[in-house]
Amino acid sequence: MISKIITKAQKAVAKANDLKDLDDARVLYLGKKGELTALLKGLGKLSKAERPVMGEAINEAKVEIQKLIESRKEELEEIALEKRILEEKIDVTLPGRNVEKGGLHPITQTLINIENIFTKGGFEVEFGPEIEDDFHNFSALNIPEHHPARAMHDTFYFSDNAVLRTHTSPVQIRTLKRQKPPVRIIAPGRVYRCDSDVTHTPMFHQVEGLIVDKEATFAQLKGLLIDFLRAYFEKDDLQVRFRPSYFPFTEPSAEADIECVICGGEGCRVCKKTGWLEVLGCGVVHPNVLKAVEVDPEEFSGLAFGMGVERLAMLRYGVNDLRLFFENDIRFLNQF
Amino acid sequence: MNISTRWLREWVDPKVSDIELSEKLTMAGLEVERVAPVAPPFEGLVVGHVVSCVKHPNADKLSLCEVDIGVDSNLQIICGAPNVRKGLKVVVATVGSVLPNNLKINKAKLRGVESRGMICSEAEMGLSDCHDSIMELDSSAILGENARTCLDLDDHIIELDLTPNRGDCFSVLGIAREVCANYDLSLFLKNYEAKQQGSKSFKVKVSNPNACPKYLTRVIEGIDNNAVTPKWMAQRLQRASQQLHSPVVDITNYVLLELGQPMHAFDLNKINGNIDVRMAKSGEKLELLNEQTVLLNKNTLVIADQKSAIAIAGVMGGMKTGTQPDSTEVLLESAFFDLIAVSGVARSYGLHTESSIRFERGVDFNMTHQAMERATELVLDICGGKASAINECVDSSTLPKLQTILITREKISSVLGFDLDPSWIESKFKFLGFNITKKNNKSWAIIPPSFRFDIRIPADLIEELARLYGYDKVPVQRLSVDANISQTSQSKVSSYVILQALVNRGYQEVITYSFISNEYHDLIDSSAKKITLKNPISDDMSIMRSSLWPGLLQTVEMNQRRGHHNARFFETGLCFSGISVDDQRQKIAGIVCGERFESQWGSPEREVDFFDVKSDVESLLSLRGNDYLFEAEEHPALQAGQAAKISNNGQLVGWIGALSPHLQKKLSLPKVFLFELNQSDIEQRKVSSYKSFSSFQASQRDIALVVTKNVNADQLIHAIQSLNQEHLIEVNLFDVYEGEHIEKDKKSVALNLTYQSIEATLTDDQLNEQVKDIITHLESKFSAKLR
Repeated sequence: MISKIITKAQKAVAKANDLKDLDDARVLYLGKKGELTALLKGLGKLSKAERPVMGEAINEAKVEIQKLIESRKEELEEIALEKRILEEKIDVTLPGRNVEKGGLHPITQTLINIENIFTKGGFEVEFGPEIEDDFHNFSALNIPEHHPARAMHDTFYFSDNAVLRTHTSPVQIRTLKRQKPPVRIIAPGRVYRCDSDVTHTPMFHQVEGLIVDKEATFAQLKGLLIDFLRAYFEKDDLQVRFRPSYFPFTEPSAEADIECVICGGEGCRVCKKTGWLEVLGCGVVHPNVLKAVEVDPEEFSGLAFGMGVERLAMLRYGVNDLRLFFENDIRFLNQF
Repeated sequence: MNISTRWLREWVDPKVSDIELSEKLTMAGLEVERVAPVAPPFEGLVVGHVVSCVKHPNADKLSLCEVDIGVDSNLQIICGAPNVRKGLKVVVATVGSVLPNNLKINKAKLRGVESRGMICSEAEMGLSDCHDSIMELDSSAILGENARTCLDLDDHIIELDLTPNRGDCFSVLGIAREVCANYDLSLFLKNYEAKQQGSKSFKVKVSNPNACPKYLTRVIEGIDNNAVTPKWMAQRLQRASQQLHSPVVDITNYVLLELGQPMHAFDLNKINGNIDVRMAKSGEKLELLNEQTVLLNKNTLVIADQKSAIAIAGVMGGMKTGTQPDSTEVLLESAFFDLIAVSGVARSYGLHTESSIRFERGVDFNMTHQAMERATELVLDICGGKASAINECVDSSTLPKLQTILITREKISSVLGFDLDPSWIESKFKFLGFNITKKNNKSWAIIPPSFRFDIRIPADLIEELARLYGYDKVPVQRLSVDANISQTSQSKVSSYVILQALVNRGYQEVITYSFISNEYHDLIDSSAKKITLKNPISDDMSIMRSSLWPGLLQTVEMNQRRGHHNARFFETGLCFSGISVDDQRQKIAGIVCGERFESQWGSPEREVDFFDVKSDVESLLSLRGNDYLFEAEEHPALQAGQAAKISNNGQLVGWIGALSPHLQKKLSLPKVFLFELNQSDIEQRKVSSYKSFSSFQASQRDIALVVTKNVNADQLIHAIQSLNQEHLIEVNLFDVYEGEHIEKDKKSVALNLTYQSIEATLTDDQLNEQVKDIITHLESKFSAKLR
């Protein structure tokens, strides 16, 4: 009798295709008017000896049917979830909803890159004005009036004593006037020269560097700049060579060349077939510069360097036309 | 400076190739820009003699030549050049030779006649572009000689880019000295002494010996200036990129290149009376050799005769007194002009001459006499004539003083960072021509030579040693680690964070020129102070920007022209309201136009509006805090009614608004929104300090009010905040509605009020009372009606 009910219940549960069907089945067998409940109600009619046996059998059947219902319920819920998942399917290849892509100018990215390398080495970043006076831009840097080096600078003038800075070197002077050595700074920024052609723009960017300390040597300068160039170009074995050069504010002075990063030193159009690319100027600070800011050249020595940011950016990103940087065509800027 | 290596090697001949020599010079600080062979490689070209030359039987423009090249039989060669003729010495490309353009010479038949070889033009040998005619050799050319030898073609031209400190290297002698110092070679300096047969004297006065410590002149009479400059000299001058003139001028140019001493030759017969070296008189004019007439400046040192100036000292001679082919008497000048006196003079007249380059950098004042003798010798050789004695005006008190420089080993090591061997140091000083006057194991006293104007202090000597040692051999050392932790502050917002904030909101950074056109300046704000460049590149770049907007507008304009209609650009940089440091302020500005979003699926298209841009600005301002105020205000570049001034405690921080429709029309731009902020105002923020928050539930109340349209959102919120209700922690405006069911000049504003107490959950009664107070206040202040 009971086993019959279980078999019937099994069938009903299995047949249930949704939660409602399943609940109907539960009511039919386990509900107040259900078949098992009816049997329970009929227990009183049985003999004292039969009663507990029968009671236990009914309860076992109840538990069993309950289990069947539970497990079917889980199955049905799973099916419902599966169905929802199917319904909610989307085309994940549709583009994400967005605002247009923004970005930093490649020159700014290059500046940030350079700053990051030097600040790791304990350098502070300093800034200065772009309209400078004669003292900071020239005479304090050992470039007296009529010095041939002034002619090399193609200076923009406002008046005899107000110019657009021709290099970031004036920041050396401003820093040393404000701060006693030891000093370890870099000074990035815009500089200006009255020159405009395929390879010159009247405005460009430089990063100046200055170290003033009790024992700062030419050999250290060389080590520092080799480390910097290898870090910047991300090449541990980048070849760097130093050549004697001339700057009024350093003595000894040097220019640093790197192996051509375009052709790997084989010789190409960019390196003019020499295999080398000039990337920065540097030297031991001229005693006259230290004297101009009242630093005793017998006690302290200085190391200075300066680099053109556009050139470094062009080499790093393979840009072949300087003028692109200031045209600001979105198709150019978007690439960085 | 360009110089032939063959010429250089006549002075000093290190056993290395021209290429190696150039590399050495570059690494020693004389940068070689280029080493160019005089002629491309070719072989098999020889000197020939045209024995006979007749017209080709079958061609009008061809000649049939018989050419002797010094072998048993003559060659029959057909030549098309108009200048081929009997008796000419020519270059013959024999059968089997290969010309630079890869043309192989074979036996050939031209119009039925055999030709065995080719008579060459300069172009065919790669010497010049001249291909219309064959090259005519000197009649002394040796028959059958290799053309490379005959024309001295196995030579290189080295192109040097000299630094301003090395004026001493502007000559073959100077470079030879440098080669000697690098290869430890000694230079043999010839002593020139020309024959003196004339006795003509000429009076010279130097009125300004400070500017002209040495002035040497010599008369040479009876010369033939119609003579031809000898081939060897012409060739060296040409290889040094000098043009040829008459022999006397060529000779002065030759001595300049050889010894570094600029010289001048006057036609004696065109000088009026004596010579005076003096400063120019005001109003004095001079027609120069380049046919330019200049009005002389009072600070210009001139050579003058009794009538007028006849040359600018150290720069250029005058036209009237210059030598001509028919000159028979010349006055040669060899002088030492002071560096300061001649510096900048040439430039002030827009000139840049071989002479001024050298005098401005310093010319060896011990070479003046030798150069005069050398030039005289050459004039007598080439033009004949009789030379008189040299007239020397020398004021030794005004000559540069050669100061002794003391240098210690310790100083050398402390600057370079490593030790150099003292005997090596001493030998290099000697090879450099430095006079060691005192020495011990630890120090030296040095007197630099008269040609080295750049050696003044110990650092100069150290550089000499370092460059001759080789910068590449300098050991690599590291800076000592500085353990000091530098001061940083959380209250400073880094500029990178500021830039990145805009990038993250879809802005592309641009960099535009700091100078703009006058027109743009006036368009944006004609009342802003104009900082004008005296020597701009062009009128478009003549005024320093007072705002970043012109550059941004130009950027949008350009990108629109190229078909990019949506723009979202920003720039940071200095703007100028004066030339003092404080007048140069860092600003950050942006420009936006076009669609709010790039057209895409699932998102309705709409134009960008004021509030899109305002939220970008607010995100920037929030980097510093939220204590700023937007107020409607007019700006000359912005559209009235869509412009706001941004301030902080009454201090102007910046502007935001739509570009004024007038400017929009003028610049042919679509609707554009602009903002600009002083960057320093968003770089400082308060470092957060914790305040405890309530653990009791917050309660919300919404109210909707109808007010007249001219009541600003800010006014309502400030009015609510002015009640200073204790538990009111936030007021949020969440809807503005105009239209149906609202009177025409009115709008409905919905506000959300959040209340919270630190001590207990607020009751409905408490809340209702507070909200009622607000409504009453707004009713009385703005005649607001609860909706």
